[in-house]
Amino acid sequence: MAFRGGGDTYTMEIKDTIQDRVRARDAAMRVLNRLTAGAAVSAVVGVGLLGAISAHTIPGTASTSTASTSTATTSTSSSSGLQTSTTPVTSSSSSGVAVSGGS
Amino acid sequence: MSNTLLWYTTRGAGAVSLVLLSAVVVLGILSVLRVQSTGWPRFLTVGLHRNLALMTLVFLGLHIVTAVVDPFTHLGWLAAVVPFSSYYRTFWLGLGTIAFELLLAVVLTSLVRGLIGQSTWRLVHWLTYACWPFAVLHGVGTGTDAWSAWLFTLQAICVIAVLAAIGYRLMAGSRDPLARERSSYLAAVDRREQR
Repeated sequence: MAFRGGGDTYTMEIKDTIQDRVRARDAAMRVLNRLTAGAAVSAVVGVGLLGAISAHTIPGTASTSTASTSTATTSTSSSSGLQTSTTPVTSSSSSGVAVSGGS
Repeated sequence: MSNTLLWYTTRGAGAVSLVLLSAVVVLGILSVLRVQSTGWPRFLTVGLHRNLALMTLVFLGLHIVTAVVDPFTHLGWLAAVVPFSSYYRTFWLGLGTIAFELLLAVVLTSLVRGLIGQSTWRLVHWLTYACWPFAVLHGVGTGTDAWSAWLFTLQAICVIAVLAAIGYRLMAGSRDPLARERSSYLAAVDRREQR
């Protein structure tokens, strides 16, 4: 009887040990999943952040493209300005023609 | 997508890939050294090493695709596959291509480890020690930001971390879990031969 009782205790101890190990393994797996997910998110954020920092330090083609855009805008506005200023000249010349035609 | 966005993504993904690759190398060395504690079992190091290696390939893919697709650089797909075939910084870009192909070989052989056998896998896995310095040199030689303070600091941290791990491994030696059993067996064989 005492032997059977001792055997049951021994079996229970083994079961407890196995359950402890299973729990520890599950906890470690959760840590692994969290670390992997954290690393993935950090890497995605890192690409954006480091890309932004690199853009700030060496804009490269960004400034060229901005410059060309602003140049294009300036030239457009100046050309439209020319067109606007052309209109009064045309009208004045036409009025001149009209005057000469009148004479 | 604008050219500048592709270019910034290339640079950002390249820096992140280097950090991830360095972390993979450090974790690989720690797993060889069988580092563990009560809250950190050994398979955690191995699992994280494997997951980060796969993640490195993804971000390296992003780095390469954005660099090739960027119409400003005109690198072409051949430069991404054949080393030293690029017109632009041929040598340094070629080192990056070699590093990528070595990493690809290391990861692919790890995925089919059961098929190719332990010794072949180990032999190919040693290529990591060539892949990582090639990647660092590629970043220093090709990188637009190579001498910017932020990337220089990042590269220095990566280099110091990997060199420290390698130094630790060299000092610690190989931790054979059966070392005691092996030595007692060899001693027993020696005793038997001396009789």
